[in-house]
Amino acid sequence: MPPAVAPSRLLKQAADDGRTGALLVGGAPGGTVYLVRGAVTYAESAAAPGVGELLTVSGRLAARTWEAALEAGAGRGAVGHLLYEQGHLTQGELELCVLGATYDAAYFALGRPDAPAEFRDDVRHWLGDVVRIDPGALTRESRRRTKLVEDIFPQPGLDTAPVIPVTRAPRERVSMTAAQWELLVHADGQRTPADLAQLLGRAGYATVLELRRMAALGLIEAPPPATPDNPDFVRLPRAHGEAVNRVRPAVPAASEAPTVPIVPSGASPPAPAPAAVAVVPAQVTVASAPEAPARPPKLARRKPGARLPKEIAAEPPEPHPGADEVLLKRIRTALRALR
Amino acid sequence: MPGVENCLQEAMAIPGAIGASIVDYTTGFPVATTGAAPNEDHEAAAAGTADVVQAAQSRSLFVSAVPHDLLEDLIITTAGGYHLLRLVRTDFDSRLVLYVWLDRLRGNLAVARRRMQTLADELTTR
Repeated sequence: MPPAVAPSRLLKQAADDGRTGALLVGGAPGGTVYLVRGAVTYAESAAAPGVGELLTVSGRLAARTWEAALEAGAGRGAVGHLLYEQGHLTQGELELCVLGATYDAAYFALGRPDAPAEFRDDVRHWLGDVVRIDPGALTRESRRRTKLVEDIFPQPGLDTAPVIPVTRAPRERVSMTAAQWELLVHADGQRTPADLAQLLGRAGYATVLELRRMAALGLIEAPPPATPDNPDFVRLPRAHGEAVNRVRPAVPAASEAPTVPIVPSGASPPAPAPAAVAVVPAQVTVASAPEAPARPPKLARRKPGARLPKEIAAEPPEPHPGADEVLLKRIRTALRALR
Repeated sequence: MPGVENCLQEAMAIPGAIGASIVDYTTGFPVATTGAAPNEDHEAAAAGTADVVQAAQSRSLFVSAVPHDLLEDLIITTAGGYHLLRLVRTDFDSRLVLYVWLDRLRGNLAVARRRMQTLADELTTR
């Protein structure tokens, strides 16, 4: 990966150069923004249902219809045009759906300035050019949306952690919107906001927004503080680097603990022993200090029971637009139809 | 089968129309705009539109009085004009509202309201 450039800056550069291709944003949840001659035509993210999910989960299109359009149009990047040419959707519906899905995914894809990003030329999305969005407007709107949820409840961890409703409401009387009710009913303690959005066919951002509102009301458990950035993994080694030095001297002292069994044997031997113990740590401290930086802070890395960092436990699949993704989506749509 | 641009053009053809937009009222974002906006700021107008719709939709009991009741439109009358908000229903998940700003003297509320209903319907149905 090249040195970190914020995804939104990379997007602006590519747009200013009038390039055609895809901005791949890594991290969790990450996403992909598609440009055609400098204008955004589509964006997708694992946390935001795409056009296909929105249309099929809502029942607007039969899974079969969507699948057929995907099969016929994916190769030449014209799935969107096929859908309204064949009369399955009105142009207005298609445009509104694509606009909604694009802004939705952009919030997740462009929301984290520290996410790794890369621009690949000449990658096009199978949906085709249904809309053209100014990349600047997309970035501005993503930023505004981030601020909007932060103002409600500043806890970004909520966007990715499993949704756990509190078992007892913190107030006597609770009023909620229909959308909030739907989320609460489907939150089983395992599903993340992204899972809920996919399941219900609702926009990812709308889901996150309602969840933050409910968290602010105390209806949803705050995620464990370790979750958002894996501070367990990232910070502990450095913080403990110092602690290790201080703890180390005690270890040799402890290893000389066999001196302790001597204690009951007689009164005179114990006397020199404490003196020896007192000296040894001092020497060890001096000796170990210079070599400490070279020692990898392995021991201090993880607390017992701490979760494996996401990067290791399950690296997010590399967004790979193209035939593979089309195939996967078709399989998923087909499986859904069987349910 | 009009697209979004076409829908807004037709909205501007309503007698007395000064400006029009389609707003996502979850986020207060103008998905598409045309013509003038109050204070020449479509984004601020959209945010205000979203506030009003949400107030009527989820913060008041008007649409909760009868089960399965739905908000259709809102009309805000000022000394200088009418602000008409018509909810656009789509089968897929979206929360959109068609907003038209009408000049008080040249505009005809009844005509505008009916035209907007047709436009919102045509946008999403065959």
